[in-house]
Amino acid sequence: MLQAYWYITKMRLLTNLAYRFEVFASVGTNLILMLASVFLWKAAYGGDTGQVQALTLQDLTSYTILSIMLASVFVCDVQDTIYYKIREGQIVTDFYRPIPLLACYLADDIGSMLSSMINKVIPLFVFAALLFGVPWPASPLGFLLFIPSCLLSYAILWLLSALVGLIAFWVMELGNMGMVKDSIVRVLSGSIVPLWFFPESIQTISKFLPFQYTYQTPLGIYIGNIGVREALTAMGIQLIWVVFLYLLLAAGWRRSKSKTLIQGG
Amino acid sequence: MVTTIRHYFSVAACFARLAVQRQLEYPLFLFSWLLMIPIQYFSGIWMLKIIVDRFQPLNGWDFPELAFLYGLGLLSHGMLVVFFINTWQIDNMVIQGTFDRLLLRPMSVFFQLVASYVNFIGLIDCIPGLIIFLYGCQLVGFEWTLGNIIKLLLVLIGGVLIRASLFISLGTIAFWTKRNASMVGFTLSMLERGTMYPLGIYPYVLQVIFTFIIPIGFISFYPAAEFLGKGSESFQLPLNFALATPAVGLACFMLSQWIFRRGMRSYESAGS
Repeated sequence: MLQAYWYITKMRLLTNLAYRFEVFASVGTNLILMLASVFLWKAAYGGDTGQVQALTLQDLTSYTILSIMLASVFVCDVQDTIYYKIREGQIVTDFYRPIPLLACYLADDIGSMLSSMINKVIPLFVFAALLFGVPWPASPLGFLLFIPSCLLSYAILWLLSALVGLIAFWVMELGNMGMVKDSIVRVLSGSIVPLWFFPESIQTISKFLPFQYTYQTPLGIYIGNIGVREALTAMGIQLIWVVFLYLLLAAGWRRSKSKTLIQGG
Repeated sequence: MVTTIRHYFSVAACFARLAVQRQLEYPLFLFSWLLMIPIQYFSGIWMLKIIVDRFQPLNGWDFPELAFLYGLGLLSHGMLVVFFINTWQIDNMVIQGTFDRLLLRPMSVFFQLVASYVNFIGLIDCIPGLIIFLYGCQLVGFEWTLGNIIKLLLVLIGGVLIRASLFISLGTIAFWTKRNASMVGFTLSMLERGTMYPLGIYPYVLQVIFTFIIPIGFISFYPAAEFLGKGSESFQLPLNFALATPAVGLACFMLSQWIFRRGMRSYESAGS
């Protein structure tokens, strides 16, 4: 059973590693985003070595670098996959597979994640280390907590993505709804500017939304802005979101099968 | 001469009508852009506001000035997206063989390339651009005199030409290599970060590159600095910006046309 998934993951990994030119461009793009954000923070501190909201320039530099690296690792192609398969009608052959379909798509995305770690994150890390110094974690314990928190973050992001993909079963032409979701996530997850700088009211609302638990939580743990006890609480909340979104997806998925309409054919 | 121009105009109008009809075919597609583009850019300016509020003006640029700069950069981006979006997919046309079609018709190839897809959806990019720019103008107390309006138009035209030249030159690479696909995304993010933030926040090397080698500083940063009466600390320009930006734009555009023609000479169809 697991072998089947591993095969999908492995094939995706190998396919992605074969496209080199796209990788150069992607690393280049992310590098520009990284440079621009780090210099923006530098200008914001303006040579000041003090702290703003208990954060130093070094903290924010690490935060930004790690955030961009995470963004290239967290591959959630599932929304586009579902949309594409429905538009092209391929979803029907996928339903013939003897293993759960969504798990296949997850295996596929994990393959992309592994390939990104090899060909995107490593070059980005090297460039960042050369330009701004190695972004060390605040403490070894912080790093140990960072890893499981990242996994939970990815689970939240993936489930959100799959939920958006499900809409395609109802509307057929999803357009760029996935990108709409992505741009909301980008802002409210604190991936560009940490939510700690946002106005109080937004911070309060955001506590009840899943977004800040996708980027800000692991990154905050990494730079040591979230202490151990708070980190465990935050990871508990992450887990609650994962369970909730999973149940939502499971319910939606059951209903969507009966909604499947095959175009043409 | 007149008949030629009239002919070109009628062809462009016909292309535009087809393009608009094609894009209205999928309303939800349009709707998703209508949501996504404003979210993206309004959140971008909001992030800047948050940073300036919590910290200090960026390299001497306070929020009203940043909004002015951001809006100016975004407006020329929007206009590029409306008129020149086809330059983003030259490689695609080369691979699919649709580029051959342009070569067979008795008209300027470049004209057909650009005119065959007027991106009506690109107007959506102009909406947040216009709103943020007008808001910035309001905040900095921009004077709407005739002189300023003419300068502004010249700067916008120059900015669009600089952007277009970049994409034309990049697209031309496809004539030799058959692919350049993701370079577009790369260039877009470079342009976004280079034109919507003050150039002064970047290290000296990058400022030199963005002024003399890839002159994107002229799209919005130098004009905005002059409009707002801010002496740019980095370079003293010999010309008034209202002349500099269109002049740089025209020069870049000529250069890109030359590159395009050179590229076409070595174009060989993708076959099949």
